Amino acid sequence: METKKVNITVAGKTIQAREGETIIHALWQSGLGHEIQTGCVGGVCGACTVTLRFADGRQGSTDLACLRPVEEGMEVFPFPVDALASPPPVSDPNEDQLRATFPTVDRCTKCDNCTIACPMGIPVMDSVLRMQKGQLEAVAEDFTTCIHCGLCRAVCEDKVLPHTMGIWVRRSLGMSVDHPVLDQASKAEMSDREELEWEHLLNCDDEERLKRAKNFRKEGTIVL
Amino acid sequence: MNWAKASLEKVEQTRTERMNQSAPVISDDEAQNLIREYHPDYVGNERKIHVGPNADSDPFPMELADLLESDSPIPKDFVPNIDIETDVLILGGGGAGVTAALGLADSGLTVHLATKLRLGDANTVMAEGGIQAALGKDDSPRRHFADSYVGGHGKNDTGLLRHLCEEGPAGIQWLTHLGTLFDQNDDGTFRFRKGGGTSTPRVLACRDYTGLEIMRVLKNAVTSGATHVLEHHAAVELTDDGKDRVTGAVLWNTQTGKLVTVSARAVILATGGSGQLRLQGYPTSNHLGATGDGLILAYRQGCSLVFPGSHQYHPSGSSYPEALVGQLVTESIRSAGAQILNVNGERFIDEMTFRDVVAAAIIREVVEGRGIETPTQRRGVWLDTPLIEQTKGKGTLAHQFPGLIHRFKRYGIDPVTQPILVYPTLHYQNGGVRIDAECRTERTGLWAAGEVTGGVHGTNRLMGNSLLDIIVFGRRVSESVPQNLPERGAVTLSRLSRYREELSGLPHTLEASAPQLYPRISGMKFELKEIPKPETGTETSPGTAQSFEPPDPFASR
Repeated sequence: METKKVNITVAGKTIQAREGETIIHALWQSGLGHEIQTGCVGGVCGACTVTLRFADGRQGSTDLACLRPVEEGMEVFPFPVDALASPPPVSDPNEDQLRATFPTVDRCTKCDNCTIACPMGIPVMDSVLRMQKGQLEAVAEDFTTCIHCGLCRAVCEDKVLPHTMGIWVRRSLGMSVDHPVLDQASKAEMSDREELEWEHLLNCDDEERLKRAKNFRKEGTIVL
Repeated sequence: MNWAKASLEKVEQTRTERMNQSAPVISDDEAQNLIREYHPDYVGNERKIHVGPNADSDPFPMELADLLESDSPIPKDFVPNIDIETDVLILGGGGAGVTAALGLADSGLTVHLATKLRLGDANTVMAEGGIQAALGKDDSPRRHFADSYVGGHGKNDTGLLRHLCEEGPAGIQWLTHLGTLFDQNDDGTFRFRKGGGTSTPRVLACRDYTGLEIMRVLKNAVTSGATHVLEHHAAVELTDDGKDRVTGAVLWNTQTGKLVTVSARAVILATGGSGQLRLQGYPTSNHLGATGDGLILAYRQGCSLVFPGSHQYHPSGSSYPEALVGQLVTESIRSAGAQILNVNGERFIDEMTFRDVVAAAIIREVVEGRGIETPTQRRGVWLDTPLIEQTKGKGTLAHQFPGLIHRFKRYGIDPVTQPILVYPTLHYQNGGVRIDAECRTERTGLWAAGEVTGGVHGTNRLMGNSLLDIIVFGRRVSESVPQNLPERGAVTLSRLSRYREELSGLPHTLEASAPQLYPRISGMKFELKEIPKPETGTETSPGTAQSFEPPDPFASR
């Protein structure tokens, strides 16, 4: 089947691309892979942030070049966003601590640019408003899918640092959860039974071990 | 997806009947035969190599064999002059490298971490399904060991595997102390999923973004510490003291095109896997930089490779649309109940058996004409995602697999109502650099951790064991280095010279250089920019923007 060709412009260079492919794949085909910083090529590392202009006059947008399909007349501009070191998380976080750590949280002027810029569909601005109210559990949920591409921060004229606060909230909450099962597992001394199981699995030749391992999987232990 | 209408109708028709159907189970012997007949590791696209420690013994995939017999891109007259002096040089900015850096935070040692891409742009961030740790009520590190050992065909290094399984719970605890959030049940206990070949639910997850959750926490933690991070610095050679000790590395700054020499008392190789070598033309689920660089570097220093011919082809790589070809569709979607179906809407393999078996079974269906062909001549089988909404309730997919939905919806495919087409994708390097339990390689001064190493997974890895691998062995290497730290040694390229002599004795000369650094398909490659070159090939058509200044995307809003 013949694939339709389209023309796109990347950083001022016009290239031909096949309809349906991503901007990154089009760059590779044209030998211009270095034009846009690239990482995972799977939409989760946030390296290949770009801004876009469209031929049909639609409003421009930001996106990830590795997931964005090409279209006729599209103009692509590399828009790398540098990572930012962030303040360390705290145990049992609350609204006041968040405000003390990120005084800019109240600067938000509700322009919603952050939400529009987010390639993951996170309701960023709403989440910033939730941060102001101290609804931290909800904030953690909002930022579950955040890839820290930094676009929300880059387009924020009020320097509110949405995703930086997002991970601070998530890590702070994560650090504060007790997991008795982990304390138990890491403290326990090895019982005789457990030592016996290890010996059973280890002290034999490879062929015998494979047999023993197969049986062990069925019962989850040795049947004596 | 009108081109597949007839087959999709069959999938719909058989769905109700399949809901309570038990999986088609095959015997161990049948599974072995399936692998030998259809798994890509066994198609014979391999050859022996004639230099280095594995010379004339194990078969290597052609692509890797060629790289190991290729010359270094470093000019022959290059003399390493030390640009950076450090105690520990970590090569690789994925999960293993960053874990090692965090582990060394309190060691008092100066630590540099060099990464070809940016910090965290690695396979770790792309891991979806989860991380194993024996924490369930019917579980134990022994059971974890048994599952992994059977999955690895009994080829696993038992010492390494025992460490992996025994230190799993402590690894999870370390992650939670750093603030990693794993999915929980309503009562606050961890929610465990089953993985292919786990005999009991053992996989912890953060939706279908587990690697992202772990990597962003590790990255966030390391950037506020004292590690010196060198982004855009690809390791192109290791240096030695003129004898058998590794003493540093030569890095290539991908932005300036210059070589940078680092002197280090310890080098930790955490360069990851090699999916972008795209063995046999398979697509890959791996990131841009996964070109097996660490294998080349270690091998030239005289480190042997374990199971160099063993790779994991993940059963469910996306096969349609074209833009997503090769990308991972997490195994946990099968764990949640999605079935794999052929063109007739029939199941043909237990979806939750070991990965190599499932992959081989899918290839068999396609080879025998029961696959589905896309308009771009790719082939695949159905992964019946809508079934989950029927068996586990409406909204399950959106809640547990937001990543899957997000990616496919861009292309007009809604996995809630529409099965997706999958085919095996090159996913993981099972083999790699030989290490001992302290992550030491066969060369003093050189340690290794993570996907670049081989042995712990045998010849087939279980889901969730690679994220655990990077945490457990990333931590182990950070404990071993301070205890075994050699004095600083001379920085020479004598090993490279010797390797070059060996290469010149080969009957054939290969034009490519190694490490490859980027996928061939990308056209990107090593280039020194010491001498400025005139720019060519930058023609622009009239009327297009000449400016490199990005426009404000929000100007018109």
